[in-house]
Amino acid sequence: MESNHVVPMDLAQLGFAYGLILLAAGLSRLRKIGQEGKLLWDSLRMVLQLLAVGYLLHLVFAVRSPLPVLLMLLAMTGFSLQIAGTRIKRRMPHFYRVVGSSIVIGCGAVTFYFCLLVVGYTPWFDPRYLIPLAGMIIGNAMNGATLAAERLSSEMHDRREEIETALCLGANARQAAEPAVRNAYKASLIPTMNTMAATGIVALPGMMTGQILSGTEPGVAVRYQIAIMCAITGAVAITSFLILLQGYRHYFTEAHQLKE
Amino acid sequence: MTLMGDGKDNQAVKIRVENVGVVRGVPGGSVVIVDDVSFAAGRGETTTIIGPSGSGKSTLIRLLNRLDEPSSGRIYLDDTETGTLDPLELRRRVAMVLQKPFMFPGSVLDNLQLPFRYRNAAPPSADSDEVRRAVALARLSPDFLDREARSLSGGEQQRVNLARALIGRPEVLLLDEPTSALDRPTADHLAATLHDVCRSEQLAIVMVTHDLRLAQHTADHLIYLEKGRVVEEGGAAELLARPQTEAFRQFLAEPAWEKESTDGK
Repeated sequence: MESNHVVPMDLAQLGFAYGLILLAAGLSRLRKIGQEGKLLWDSLRMVLQLLAVGYLLHLVFAVRSPLPVLLMLLAMTGFSLQIAGTRIKRRMPHFYRVVGSSIVIGCGAVTFYFCLLVVGYTPWFDPRYLIPLAGMIIGNAMNGATLAAERLSSEMHDRREEIETALCLGANARQAAEPAVRNAYKASLIPTMNTMAATGIVALPGMMTGQILSGTEPGVAVRYQIAIMCAITGAVAITSFLILLQGYRHYFTEAHQLKE
Repeated sequence: MTLMGDGKDNQAVKIRVENVGVVRGVPGGSVVIVDDVSFAAGRGETTTIIGPSGSGKSTLIRLLNRLDEPSSGRIYLDDTETGTLDPLELRRRVAMVLQKPFMFPGSVLDNLQLPFRYRNAAPPSADSDEVRRAVALARLSPDFLDREARSLSGGEQQRVNLARALIGRPEVLLLDEPTSALDRPTADHLAATLHDVCRSEQLAIVMVTHDLRLAQHTADHLIYLEKGRVVEEGGAAELLARPQTEAFRQFLAEPAWEKESTDGK
């Protein structure tokens, strides 16, 4: 195989790969676990979603204009927000407004900083760079955002007594909510920190693997991976920070009273 | 009901509640929790609010330091309406001890320093006048200052709670079921402490309790609340000896208050 060419994948090869899903479904049926229907449905959904994205990317790449690229990033943000909203059991007040604005600001700032200053390609909207890089940043920030929002919600609920005690002792809303905010921030960063600690030892990261498979020098792929991990950490931190900064206020009235 | 029905003069009144109501929205309508309540609490005396579960006592006391807002009526600290005061400043002047003593992580001294840290003031040291005074008022041994607050017994924690509320020299002290988590002898000791603190510091104490014995030992002024309304009000000794209404007579006859207080609520 030449180093800069990828082995093409035809439908027959894809069919062989899909055989592994059928094997998983078969095992589920054999052991009467009862998940085979869901497994097949989810895998079918994955196939359809990826095919649709493939065609969409094809179109966006062909147009070479910033508008479709930005619209696609907006749609990705919207979907991730919707998925986060359904995944969370106890939603904080004004969830969509708080999480949505934090993701747009946090991910937007980090993505453009990363693409324009760190990678520095032209034109700035080149979808070959912007879409996958923004996708990774948004996807990871979404996980951090979900954890931050969910943890803040449960901490504010569980620490009611502590918060009211602090208010009685003259604390303002920020001071009273500080332990809850601190714990939620820590929780939001745990998966990113775990990934950083395990990267290269437990698993080879997806982007690096993809670049190596498509013929990039491993040294370059590694540098990209390091840079994107830094961007992801920054995006998770900024997004979670903004969520918590806005989020805790919604639990209090203007008069530093804990709402029901 | 008249505002100062027991003839309290204006000089002695510290906190005044005028026609206060609390209405809460519930699915399919609203419910009245506190209904047109008025009373006045004076310096150097303990005003005790008693009544059955769900009578609105705790809701009422939470209005006095603006942990909650009333739906109607006014509350005055001296002659200033509390709604016009900065809530943080109000809570420094009107301290509150909640039902369960919540201890923050760290030592007893750390807990006593918290009110100062919250207002960005230098926290007093263990041998400062403030700490010594608060510890003495709550009858807490100074040896406790280095102890981990969460390792203390319920009674000891309630004393730390009291010292922590008193360290900022409040003008009014609110107590929400202060003995509900304590055994009888510990509750009696706390009652004696509260009685002394009230007199020595000329504090206006407003207390909500199920504990009739605590009310008997500490109350100067008694308010019996039922379904959010004041049913009886007056001098504690007189009212307990000669209840005027059938509702209050029944409440005094039923030992329910004792059961509830040992259940923790």
